[in-house]
Amino acid sequence: MIAYLLNLATLATIFGILAASLNVLIGYAGIFSIAHAVFFGLGAYAGAQLALQFIPDVLLACLAGGAISAALSLCLALPALRVRGEYFVAASLGLQMMAVTVFSEAHALTGGHGGLVGIPPATLFGADVSGPAPFLVFALAVLGLLLLAVRLLMRGSFGRALMAIRDSESAAEAFGKDVRALKTLAVALGCAMAGVAGALFAFYMAFVNVESFTLEQSILVMAMVIIGGTATLAGPLIGVLLLLLLPAGLSFLPFIPPTQIGAVQQLIYGLAMTLLMIFRPAGIAGGRR
Amino acid sequence: MGVPFSIRGLDKKFGGLAAVQNVDLDLQEGVTTALVGPNGAGKTTLFNLATGHIIPDGGEVLLDGKSVLGQSPHLIARMGVARSFQDLRLFGRMSVRDNVRAAIEPTAWLWQPGGGSAARKREAAVDAALDRCGLTKQADARAVDLAYAERKFLSVARILATGARIWLLDEPASGLDPHSRARFVQLVRDAVAEGVTICLIEHNLDIVTELADRIAFLDRGAKLAEGAPQEILRDPKLIGIYFGEQRT
Repeated sequence: MIAYLLNLATLATIFGILAASLNVLIGYAGIFSIAHAVFFGLGAYAGAQLALQFIPDVLLACLAGGAISAALSLCLALPALRVRGEYFVAASLGLQMMAVTVFSEAHALTGGHGGLVGIPPATLFGADVSGPAPFLVFALAVLGLLLLAVRLLMRGSFGRALMAIRDSESAAEAFGKDVRALKTLAVALGCAMAGVAGALFAFYMAFVNVESFTLEQSILVMAMVIIGGTATLAGPLIGVLLLLLLPAGLSFLPFIPPTQIGAVQQLIYGLAMTLLMIFRPAGIAGGRR
Repeated sequence: MGVPFSIRGLDKKFGGLAAVQNVDLDLQEGVTTALVGPNGAGKTTLFNLATGHIIPDGGEVLLDGKSVLGQSPHLIARMGVARSFQDLRLFGRMSVRDNVRAAIEPTAWLWQPGGGSAARKREAAVDAALDRCGLTKQADARAVDLAYAERKFLSVARILATGARIWLLDEPASGLDPHSRARFVQLVRDAVAEGVTICLIEHNLDIVTELADRIAFLDRGAKLAEGAPQEILRDPKLIGIYFGEQRT
């Protein structure tokens, strides 16, 4: 039971980082990306390759995953600078579809559909941190540091400028905000954090393949952010806890056959999203719209 | 008296429609100029062209005699040109105080220049602007929750706090009740007394009469006349155009 709870807690922590990273884009910068799993994947593949080819240091893998995702975030930033609203959503959908194809076909880098297997146990400065408890502690430390960084950035002038852009891009420009630079930086920051989450995910699962970085994953993370509450620190974490713990909770209900859990889960997600958007559109932790 | 902001031969077409045609306009230092004209005359487009939000097809925009044509809006803003929008474009989900803060922070990278003393000066400027616009009590409210007149004053407070020397105000007093309108007129007069150069688009001719030192009359993208208010507002031909009675 403890191993099961540690597993849930570790996954919740990794997805907490991922949801917090998407919240930078959606909540603070108003960039509705549905390609976030791409950057989660890039971080995972980068971390996995570093561990497989060079050294299984989880901190270095997080840095590498973050750096690769931040560098390739330009693929998302460029359309974000040119189009807004539903046009950007469509552009990010295109990016998501392309990335899944690349992940599936670039065998040398991603292992194709088979993925990258045999990722060695995580170490930190030479010490083994691959056990469930040490890995959870490390992941929680990363989550804490990143949430602190997001809090500091968003409470300062950077966050105010991003939120100004979110609320009115032209007015923000009229008050001296360099919208192009700020949006690019926000996308890089959000994608770098997703890359860090990806690297942790790769070590935790000891295996990565394209199935974890599909459109469904992007939508799940977006649902976590929206249900929890955008532009709040706690919102994405609440969303993660709800959407990850819900399936676990359902599996304990005796009257739902195990084969039907997936369908019941989908019904509950759909109903919860609909009711939430009607009665509390800013999410559980969000204020009034 | 200097001319800090000039527009020379500005042109803009949208498809076949000439939105602005060969418009010249000088904003003289410490002088309030009103842009008057019927709907669709090209007044807001002229503001958009002057502040870099739309790229003109031809002409020149000069700030202190130097061309700012083709510059990004944020760079023109940083040179001391502030503008408001007809539809206000407040930062709706942010607090009133943060609206003004966001407007005056000179750069938005991770750290602000100038350290603590610059931050204290900015906070003092925010407080002063909110006080002058009667928004001190609403400082922590979200912009979207303000009453209509308060939103209007917030759009002015953002500009006031920037310390910009040229203000372009797009229908800043439309829809205000008489009391709020009187407060607004006083606010603009105080700014002018402090040396601010103002150009405002306004449909309320009473406000134009109260505030404007000069009027430029636009119709169908072209400037038809420019002069003192009593001169322009007594021209039966222009007034006829304004009220849609006749067209040239």
